[in-house]
Amino acid sequence: MTMENPERTQQPAIQTISSIHIARAQQHTLSNGLPVYAIESGTEDIVKVDLLFRAGNWFQPKPLVAEATCEMLSEGSQNYTSRQIAAQMDYYGAFLRTAANKDVANVSLLTLKKYLSPTLQVLADVVKKPTFPQQELITYLNNKKQHYQLEYTKVNTLSKVHFNEALFGSHHPYGRILQLEDHDQVGRDDLGDFHQKHYTADQCALLVTGKIDESVFQSLEEQLGGEDWKGSGNTIQTPDFRPFTTTETEVFTPKPDAVQSALRIGKVLFNKRHPDFPGLQVVNTILGGYFGSRLMKKIREEKGYTYGIFSVLVPMVNEGYLTIASEVGANVCRKAIDAIYEEIKKLREEKVGQPELTMVRNYMMGQLLRAFDGPLPTASTYMSLMEMNLDEDYYQRVVYTVNNITPEDIRELANKYLNEQEMVRSVAGKCE
Amino acid sequence: MVDFTKYTLDNGLKVIVHPDASTPIGTVNLLYNVGAKHENPERTGFAHLFEHLMFEGSVHIPSYDTPLQKAGGENNAFTSNDITNYYLTLPVENLETGFWLESDRMLGLNLTEEKIRVQKNVVIEEFNQRYRNQPYGDAMMLLREMAYKVHPYQWSTIGKDISHIEGATGEEVRAFFYRHYAPNNAILTVVGNIEPEKVKEMANRWFGPIPSREIAQKDIPREPVQEEARSREVTRDVPHNVIYKAYHMNDHNHPDYIPADLISDLLANGNSARLYQNLVKGKKMFSNLDAHITGDVDEGLLLISGTLTPNTGMKQGEEALLEELARLKNEPVDEQELQKVKNKVEAVHTYTKTSALHKALNLSYFELLGDANRINTEDQAYQKVTPADVQRVSQKVLDENNCSTLYYYAKAQ
Repeated sequence: MTMENPERTQQPAIQTISSIHIARAQQHTLSNGLPVYAIESGTEDIVKVDLLFRAGNWFQPKPLVAEATCEMLSEGSQNYTSRQIAAQMDYYGAFLRTAANKDVANVSLLTLKKYLSPTLQVLADVVKKPTFPQQELITYLNNKKQHYQLEYTKVNTLSKVHFNEALFGSHHPYGRILQLEDHDQVGRDDLGDFHQKHYTADQCALLVTGKIDESVFQSLEEQLGGEDWKGSGNTIQTPDFRPFTTTETEVFTPKPDAVQSALRIGKVLFNKRHPDFPGLQVVNTILGGYFGSRLMKKIREEKGYTYGIFSVLVPMVNEGYLTIASEVGANVCRKAIDAIYEEIKKLREEKVGQPELTMVRNYMMGQLLRAFDGPLPTASTYMSLMEMNLDEDYYQRVVYTVNNITPEDIRELANKYLNEQEMVRSVAGKCE
Repeated sequence: MVDFTKYTLDNGLKVIVHPDASTPIGTVNLLYNVGAKHENPERTGFAHLFEHLMFEGSVHIPSYDTPLQKAGGENNAFTSNDITNYYLTLPVENLETGFWLESDRMLGLNLTEEKIRVQKNVVIEEFNQRYRNQPYGDAMMLLREMAYKVHPYQWSTIGKDISHIEGATGEEVRAFFYRHYAPNNAILTVVGNIEPEKVKEMANRWFGPIPSREIAQKDIPREPVQEEARSREVTRDVPHNVIYKAYHMNDHNHPDYIPADLISDLLANGNSARLYQNLVKGKKMFSNLDAHITGDVDEGLLLISGTLTPNTGMKQGEEALLEELARLKNEPVDEQELQKVKNKVEAVHTYTKTSALHKALNLSYFELLGDANRINTEDQAYQKVTPADVQRVSQKVLDENNCSTLYYYAKAQ
C-alpha cells in the first residue's frame, strides 16, 4: 500500500505561546526565622532542598576561602565523619552538593521523598556544625591543586580567566585569577571563621521543590528550624568593589602548541535588576544565544571556523557582563574575530527583520516553558532569582518584553550597549 | 511506571508513545540504528559527519532549525558507536512541526558540495577541540585500538583518522544515507500531554508514505577473547601521570552486563565508593579515580582511570589499584554495600523520570535492545544481583589477561 504524501512544503500550523504558567512559591518561615520557599512540581516522589548563603568569593578575606569552606562542609561534622557522610548519602541514593561561586554558596540535597528525613539530618549537621578536619583539608587542597594544574593547561580556561581579569581588574573578586600558591595559604581557622560568620540561619534562604506535603515541612522544621541555629545578630558588611576594565583592546595568552585558540569578547554591562536586561537578552539571543543565532550561522555554518560559538549575558549579583566565546582554528583566528565584530556592527546598523524576530520570540518563549518544566529545572530557575533577590514577577517582565520588543528597540539597545570599540577580547592559544 | 503504547507502521518504522500530562513540552526522539560500528574501516567518522549533515536541509525544507525555532522548539543529536539519535522538544501544541521536520529528512536530504565542505570543516574543528587540544584528549582512542583487534569499536565516533573525513566525497555521503537511514531502521518515540491516537494519526500521515529501504547488512565481527595482558606507554605534555585500564565485558543483553555495571559502581560511584575511599582518601595515591562501563550494545568495556598524586609511581599506583580489584574477586561483597549501589540505581532512575526527554531516550534505547518495557523492569533486574554474581563477574572481567592498560606519562617539566 502506498500512502499519499502530505503537503510537505508548508510548515503545519503553529500556535504562538504568548504566556507561560509560572507556579508561585509558597512562603513559610521556620521557628528560627529561616525563610522557606516551596514549589510543588512534578509527578515523581522526589524532594530537592537548596540552601543559599551570601558566602561567595565577594565576601572572602583571602583567595579560595569561600570555595574551600563550602566544599569542605561535607568532609566532617560534629556527628558524622567524612566517610559516614558519603556512606549515608550513597546508601539512600541521595546527592549532597556543595558549591560556591563568586557571589553565593549553595548546599543542595536531592533525594527520594521516602529518605528525606535521614538525608536532611546529615545536611543539617554539615551546614550547622562542620568540623573541617585538618587531614581532610590537606587531601582536599592537594587534589584541588592537581585539578587546578589540569584546568590551567586548557586554552578555554586561560582565555576565560584573563577575560574576567581584563573586565574587572586583578583586585576585584570577579576578576582576580586564582594562583597555584593560593592553595598553600588556606588554613582550618580561615574556614571555621568564614563559616561562623556566613553560614547562619538569618543569612540563609531555603528552596524546596518536588513532592511536598506537611511531612516535608515537618522535617525541615525539625532539622533546620531549631533555636540552636539562628544567627550572629550582626549585620554583615558587604564589601564594596568597583570594576576596573583594562584599556587594552586585546589580552593574549600564548600557548604555542595549541591547534585552536580560545576567544572571549565582551564588556561589563549589568545584571537582571537593570530595566534593560530583558530587552538586551533578546538582542543577545539574536546575536549568539541559540543554535540558529547569527554568530552560529556565520562562524560555524557558513565559514566552518569552529565547532561552536555562543554569547551570553552573565548576571552576577553586583554586576553583569557580556561574553562571546568560541574555540577556533589557530589559522583562522583573526578572520573569526573580524567576522564576530562584523555581526555586532550589523546589529547596530540594520534593523532585524520580522521573520527573524518572530522566530527568536517563539524560541525564547519555548525556553521559558522549559525553564519551569519539572522539579529540577524549576529549582534551578528559582535559585537564580533568589540569588538576585528577585521574585517571579521578573519572568512576567521578560514575557512582556519578549512579546512586545520592536526592531527599533533592538537596534537602539545594540547601539547603546554593544559598541565594538568598547569591547575587550581575550585570546589564548596561537593566532596565526 | 512509564505507560506506553507501541506499534509498527507498514514501512517498518517502530513507534512508541508515552502520554505525560505533567509537562507542557512535547518530545520527539528518533533513533537510527546506525553508528560508528557500521562504518567502512577505510571511511570512519561517517555516521557522525552524517549527524551534522542531517541539519543542512531536506527535500522540501531548506532549513531544519528555522521552522523548529519558530515553533518554540529546540533540538540536538548525538552519535555513538552503536546509534545516531536525534531529539527535539517544543510546546506540545506544535508537535506536528516535529513530525513534519523529522519525516522530511528521513525521506531525503538536499546536500550540496558546499554544505558538505563546511560541515567537514566543522567536524575537523570538533576533532581539534575535543581530542587534539585537550589534555589526555587521545587516551580513549589509544585504549580502543588496543582493546579491539577486529570489532569496529576499535575507533571512536569521530573516526580513526581525520583524513577519512577530509577525503569524504559527496557521493559516498549520499550512499551512506540510503544504506542506513530508513523507516525500517529507526525507532520514533513521542512523549507529551497528547492522546496516543493523535500521535498514531500524525505518525501515519508524515512517516507512513516513506518507503522502506534495503538496509546494508553488515556482519559485525565478534571480538575474540583476549588472552594476554596488553599495555602501552605514552608521554605527552600534560600535568600528571594517569593510568587507564580497559576490561572487556559482556554485551548489553547478557545477564552479566548488570553485575558488571554494579561492579563499576562499587568501585567508583559516589564518595563512599571503594577506590575513592581507599586510594584517594586513605592511601592518597590518586587525586581522583573513575570507573564506568561504556554501555555499548555489543561487548563493551569496563573502564578505570586514575590521576596519580605527585609522589606516587605509576607501577605503585597500579599495584594498589589491582589490590582493590583482587578484593572484589576474592571476597564476596557485603550485603549492605551491594544494597547501597542498588539503591542508587533505583534513585537515579526516579530522578531521570522527571525529564520527558530522558524517558523518550530510554524508551528508544531499550526498544533497540529488544524491549522498551525494560524502562519499567530494569530496577528489578538490578535488585536481583547477588554477592555471588558480583564475585563471579569480577573474576571473569577484572582479569589482567582481559585488560588493556595505558600508562599516560607527563613529560618532565
